[in-house]
Amino acid sequence: MSADHYKDTTDNELLERFYSDKSNHWLGILLQRYTMLLFGVCMKYLKNEEDAKDSVQQVFLKIIAELHKYKVAYFKSWIYMIAKNHCLMKLRDRQGKTPVELKEQALAWEEDPGSHQLHADKDRMLDLMSTALEELSKEQKLCVTLFYLDKKSYQEITDRTGYSMGQVKSYIQNGKRNLKLLMERKLADK
Amino acid sequence: MNNDLLNILSNSNKDIDNQVLMDYLAGKLSVEQKHEVEKLMADNHFMNDAMEGLEQVKDPINIELLVEQINRDLRKKIDKKIKLKQRRRLKQYSWIYFAAFLLLLLVMIAWFVIYRVQHQPHLIHP
Repeated sequence: MSADHYKDTTDNELLERFYSDKSNHWLGILLQRYTMLLFGVCMKYLKNEEDAKDSVQQVFLKIIAELHKYKVAYFKSWIYMIAKNHCLMKLRDRQGKTPVELKEQALAWEEDPGSHQLHADKDRMLDLMSTALEELSKEQKLCVTLFYLDKKSYQEITDRTGYSMGQVKSYIQNGKRNLKLLMERKLADK
Repeated sequence: MNNDLLNILSNSNKDIDNQVLMDYLAGKLSVEQKHEVEKLMADNHFMNDAMEGLEQVKDPINIELLVEQINRDLRKKIDKKIKLKQRRRLKQYSWIYFAAFLLLLLVMIAWFVIYRVQHQPHLIHP
């Protein structure tokens, strides 16, 4: 099962091959592409290398079992949800607490790049964007500008602003999300 | 006005090579490459979570070893399942093979009997 042999085959093609002959061989190739990312996700939540390794193996088994039952449209987002849910369940078992409930947001977020009416003419959009950018909090505006417009790396932004790496990531992600919301509101108002 | 403003809202679904991730973690990328990876991270929760987790691994060399171990285990499990399936299929169809064998045997016996009858020396009646 050489994964390299299929490096030019897309995820969807591998899935289609699996759906046509139901051979786990194709899933093996597909899943190996995501081992590192899934291991990272499990590490983030479980904070332990052995636990993360075991979890990835369990997640793989779950994915294989589920794919035999139904078709999945957005494979990458779906496996991310499965891994995240698995880790949250594990944390709940470990701590006896209820983890934050996961919604289908990841699916919508990643596969829906056109959720904004970007058909509006460019100048109007640019106008709206610069107004929306001004409406962000000072920290978010600074980090978003440095990251997207000045193309600075996280480390450079950290050095320049004095914020921690975590804060920089959070300001960028939240800033981007708020920009989307502001743009949607502005486009709806027009 | 800066045209990059519109790029903020674009989301990328681009896949990234594991080696690039490892180089990012090892600090081997140029400023531009680093920014590209971080842009993908900002666009993609999956990748962002993964990178945050990978950054927590004490020795980045361990990441590749652990990933290889997981992949080896996956391949082993899948091969085992495939073999089991093939064996089950063989068992399922074993009666067909048996029936075919029996039929062949009958045909051979029939042919042998007919051959013997045809080539038997004629009995001379006194």
